[in-house]
Amino acid sequence: MNKIFKLAMLSTTATALLLSAVQAQETVVWWDFLGGGDGVRMKSLIERFNTEHEGEITIEGTTLEWGTPFYSKVQTSSAIGEGPDVMTYHLSRVPLGVDSGALAEISTDDLAAVGLGADTFASANWEAGQSDGKQYAVPFDIHSIVLYYNKDKLAEAGLLGEDGKPTGLDGADNFMAALEQLQPNSEYALSLQTSGDGTPWRVFYSLFGQQDGVFLGEDGTFLPDDSIPKAVSAVETMASWVEGGFAPALTEYEGSVALFTSGAAALHMNGVWEVPTMTDLAAKGDLGFEWGAIAIPTFFDHPATWADSHGFAIPSNGGKEMTPEKKAAVFEVIAWMNKNSLAWADAGHIPAYSPTRDSEEFKTMEPNATYSVLADTAVFDPKSTLAGVASPVYDAVANYIAPAMNGEMSPQDAIDEMKADLQDQAD
Amino acid sequence: MLRNHRQEMVVALLFVLPFVLIYGVLFLWPTFQMVYLSFTDAPLIGPGEWIGIENYVEMFDDRRFWTSVRNTAYFVVLTVIPNTLIGLVIAMMVSRLKGWQQSLILAMFFLPYILPVTVVYRIWNWMFNVQFGIMQYPLTWIFGKATPVFRTQWMFMPAVAFVTVWWTCGFNILLFLSGLRSISTDIYEAAALDNASRWTIFRRITWPLIWPVTALVLTIQLILQLKIFDQVYLFVQGGRPDPSMVMVQYIYSQAFQKNEGGYAAAISVALFVIVIVFSILQFQVLRGRGQK
Repeated sequence: MNKIFKLAMLSTTATALLLSAVQAQETVVWWDFLGGGDGVRMKSLIERFNTEHEGEITIEGTTLEWGTPFYSKVQTSSAIGEGPDVMTYHLSRVPLGVDSGALAEISTDDLAAVGLGADTFASANWEAGQSDGKQYAVPFDIHSIVLYYNKDKLAEAGLLGEDGKPTGLDGADNFMAALEQLQPNSEYALSLQTSGDGTPWRVFYSLFGQQDGVFLGEDGTFLPDDSIPKAVSAVETMASWVEGGFAPALTEYEGSVALFTSGAAALHMNGVWEVPTMTDLAAKGDLGFEWGAIAIPTFFDHPATWADSHGFAIPSNGGKEMTPEKKAAVFEVIAWMNKNSLAWADAGHIPAYSPTRDSEEFKTMEPNATYSVLADTAVFDPKSTLAGVASPVYDAVANYIAPAMNGEMSPQDAIDEMKADLQDQAD
Repeated sequence: MLRNHRQEMVVALLFVLPFVLIYGVLFLWPTFQMVYLSFTDAPLIGPGEWIGIENYVEMFDDRRFWTSVRNTAYFVVLTVIPNTLIGLVIAMMVSRLKGWQQSLILAMFFLPYILPVTVVYRIWNWMFNVQFGIMQYPLTWIFGKATPVFRTQWMFMPAVAFVTVWWTCGFNILLFLSGLRSISTDIYEAAALDNASRWTIFRRITWPLIWPVTALVLTIQLILQLKIFDQVYLFVQGGRPDPSMVMVQYIYSQAFQKNEGGYAAAISVALFVIVIVFSILQFQVLRGRGQK
């Protein structure tokens, strides 16, 4: 009798223990759009998180296609309450996301509870996650475009300085001269995406920013009159690379990366998120040349580079409330990711979390340390519901700027039509 | 007797009820909702404010809407008649074969039809690839240099139409083949005895007798091609979306990308009307010709 009683007690406690373990385990559904070399880094970060939080929180990650497919899915699934618990989000798209009701407000108290707030991020970065003074996204990084270079080819052309870094690339004419020097030994002196949105926008916005161009005036005018010549000269510069045969025409993103990694191109303009692609290829010995990356040269008046940020956002999910346990888990995920963002810097990005950015480890990390100066002169996308990743501005780039780069449209026509098109959608 | 009749009515109603219910819930109600939505400023999901005919006024003034209408019409012209004629020609050739040879050749022509559109897109995107696509050999021979077909504006629609014909003509061949088989061999024998030439046989016998099938194929094709979306959407990825925008694609972009549910519904109504008008018109015209 006693024995049976004991056994019964034991099994009850066991069951109770098991149950409580099951209850304490929170699953956080996570969506991201990180499919490139940085996606691999993110997956290992998620794995590390899951091991450190074994039995408490598990991230169930899904990677979706970057850009329009991702944001269309977020938009629709959030509206019907089928979105994830947390997702990566471009801060440039916060205005559009808030306007279309896809994002839930993030309370600063909840953030403060996990040690995040205005004081742990650069102020411009922090505010980029706001709309009407309310927080809708937590910054995770700052990312930009850089100029990748093939050291061997640059050395041959005599374009490496004493310090082993490229020299003499500043100024549109000097850059053109450098392309001419590089062209004989390469299929293309410069590879970059010349079809669709993405790179064409990022390069355009950088060159435009170097002339202090205004894309969206305070009165809601796209490309005010005095900025039009600046936009035209930015496009003309980009078109001259393709026209001279230095850059490939009508080339898509993947193709432009392949041209550089296969050694066919001496220079490559692309986002910092391709740093891991180069690092990994070099580590495996598959790259076949020495590579480096520097900030985009100054073509016009002063340095400036397009930049955007990845952040974390919580979908509104049709107003469905999270349980307090789930909410705590989500904020733990956001905080942990930021506090461990040194590993994310390994993916080429500049961490948003100030303590990581100021750490000695980050300051000596290469090639980030070489190009992280760009953060000081970065120009962010205009704050508008028409701007940001997968927005009407991006579509307009694919429709007007990319064709102008390929000589299918004159730069002046491209800018005029882009202005008319965007203005039309804004009014 | 009267009571019996009524009872029969009840039974009949009971039998058609499932269909009427499903038809009402899955077709009539959504259609009504779509028309209603087109008079509101609703977002993608959820209700909106009644704004009268504002969406329609905007639509008639919308440059992109007209581009999409023009492109859809262009695509229909490029596919409907060619697809039907090619289907008929191939069916006539296949029908001359016998036994397993016929089955084998027919299966080969039908094979593309069973592929999903994404696979078709992958195949032809590779075939036309500027760097390694096999189609670049003839293209280089014609144009003197490698040509990015899906990135060259004037080639885009014809190329997508070509791929569409390749993909879908298998089904038309099947329809025509069954039509050809139903023509009695006696008629052909009689014609042969009268020393009729092959062309005369085709013009006087095959063509009139196959006409009902032709009319059917043309109508199916018309409705299908007016709703073109997937191929254009896939092939334009990474290029210039606007100049080759078709109507369903524009509806998608307004609803899912721009969150303009009401406006997208207005364009859907326009497409709905176009499809109905054209298919009724076409079917009437074609039926009339067949009866003469």
